[in-house]
Amino acid sequence: MKLSHPTSLIVLLVAGAVLLAVGMAPGCGSARRGTPVAEPVRLAEADLIEGRQIFATHCYQCHPGGEAGLAPAINNKPLPGWLMRLQVRQGLGAMPAFPEHEINDDELDHLIAYLNHLQSLDPPPLE
Amino acid sequence: MCSLVRLTLLLMVFSVGLSGCYRFASSEGGGQAAFSPPRTIAPADVALPAGYRIEAIAVDLTYPTAVTVDDRGQVYVVEGGYSYGEAWAEPRLLRIEPDGATTVIVAGDNPPWTGVVFHDGAFYLSEGGLLEGGRIVHLTMDGQVTPLVENIPTHGDHHTNAPAVGPDGKIYFGAGTTTNSGVVGIDNIRFGWVERFPDFHDVPARDIALAGRNHETTNPLTADPDDTAVTGAFLPFGTPSAPGQRIAGRLPANGAIMRVAAAGGKMELVAWGLRNPYGLAFSPDGQLFATENQFDVRGSRPIWGTGDLLWQIDWRQPGRWHGWPDFFAGQPLAEGDRFQAPGEPAPQFLLADHPETPPTPVTRFAVHASANGLDFPPNNAFGFEGHAFVAQFGDLAPAVGKVLAPVGYNVVTVDPASGVIVPFAANAGPTNGPASQLGGGGLERPVDVAFSPDGTALYIADFGVMTTSDQGPQPRAGTGVVWRVTREPGR
Repeated sequence: MKLSHPTSLIVLLVAGAVLLAVGMAPGCGSARRGTPVAEPVRLAEADLIEGRQIFATHCYQCHPGGEAGLAPAINNKPLPGWLMRLQVRQGLGAMPAFPEHEINDDELDHLIAYLNHLQSLDPPPLE
Repeated sequence: MCSLVRLTLLLMVFSVGLSGCYRFASSEGGGQAAFSPPRTIAPADVALPAGYRIEAIAVDLTYPTAVTVDDRGQVYVVEGGYSYGEAWAEPRLLRIEPDGATTVIVAGDNPPWTGVVFHDGAFYLSEGGLLEGGRIVHLTMDGQVTPLVENIPTHGDHHTNAPAVGPDGKIYFGAGTTTNSGVVGIDNIRFGWVERFPDFHDVPARDIALAGRNHETTNPLTADPDDTAVTGAFLPFGTPSAPGQRIAGRLPANGAIMRVAAAGGKMELVAWGLRNPYGLAFSPDGQLFATENQFDVRGSRPIWGTGDLLWQIDWRQPGRWHGWPDFFAGQPLAEGDRFQAPGEPAPQFLLADHPETPPTPVTRFAVHASANGLDFPPNNAFGFEGHAFVAQFGDLAPAVGKVLAPVGYNVVTVDPASGVIVPFAANAGPTNGPASQLGGGGLERPVDVAFSPDGTALYIADFGVMTTSDQGPQPRAGTGVVWRVTREPGR
């Protein structure tokens, strides 16, 4: 268990409840996004490009492309931004915490924007 | 106060529940499926970016590990002659004819053959060295073999890997470590090599001093079921280490990238502290890149959550240490609990002193993706100029660690400037995985990629079907494929 920085019991409780209800549940549809299986991910805004960079450095290896791998999928579980932010900062379950010296607040904003963008894209069609 | 206690109890329940979600979830690796031959081939089941097409140009291969193209555009494939799972065959270099037939250029021994490159009218081929030690050999078109390097210490988990030709005309090659994380253990006995070479262990390129940490296991090598073995790092199974104990470095080493002149001669160290530097390629502007297969969750010192890496290696100022066995991607394994597998002890440093602060990689691939062979397009005829193309073999879960979904089984591009990874060729549909699990006739396990010299075609060596279980991998002979990807006419 890697909850090494419990700060707010209530907030964490809410986070845990929501995650149990939504986040850890089986995915709602395919988590695959972008080429070559679906529409291309086109990023025009600088914050999304920055967010993709943060994702590549810190998130991709466990959530490749936002799909499941070592960790559960993200793309098909549209959690509210505040909850994603909380989970990044506090860690949860097997996921480690990422403190500000690893992902600063501005970078976290960009990361959340990128994740929201991925979640908004269409998955590949069901066969 | 009572409410605080209730909240605390609830939090504990939630926390245990969430960590338990991972700990108790079953592994869902791509190889964890049944397979009934024959393998189906259906290029339409492979998704590519718009404007590209894929076709199979050779099928029914046994354990293909590498593909290369000569200066006239002729394609060759290496059949490795060995697969994890202790499956043996004859290693061969084959020419792929226009009708898909194959012609043997050379067949030999000392499997697994892991790679080949064509340069200056001849081949340079890597023999993995599982039985006889690794070799890099010069091979003429009529099959004459001349060893350039021999006795590379790769009898263990990982092998002598594919060669690449540098801008300096030298032959560069990687050699993988003997073990997962520095300690010979039960996992290595299951691989099969400890009984063949009971005194074998990891071999550093430079002198190191040990922290003196030892690991106690059962000892399946004796008849006594209660026998135990105590093993230290960089030492044979059953040999303990002492604090400050020095291990002499030497070349050839394993866990290193080395080079030798194309005519042979003295070997040189390029980089070390690399677990399994599998794929090597020089970009068109002369930079050396290497994929590194990272730690597994197995053996006496399991390490959790480490994705494979892409490194840019400074070949002009050689000799840098890249962190194995005590760092991952520049991060120390022994600080915090980030690399502690659920239910396992946290990893401790094995080295008393570290040669230097390791560099930072270009990018991290998905954990257990097995990022292997790589190449760069030589020009912009294919598109993606300046991007690395990397073949991802796919996970070997559950033996190497658990995954919640199949990982890899595709070819990805990497932008070296940003580290952003984008799939290029993957099986179509709503879920990822090998064709043998998904159904259909797409990719199984891409293991190598190579561009034609004119840059118009990308060739993919697909190892074929390998199912997995708690007992290890079960490779299927005769299911390998070489794919060719080209741009559609008019693009």
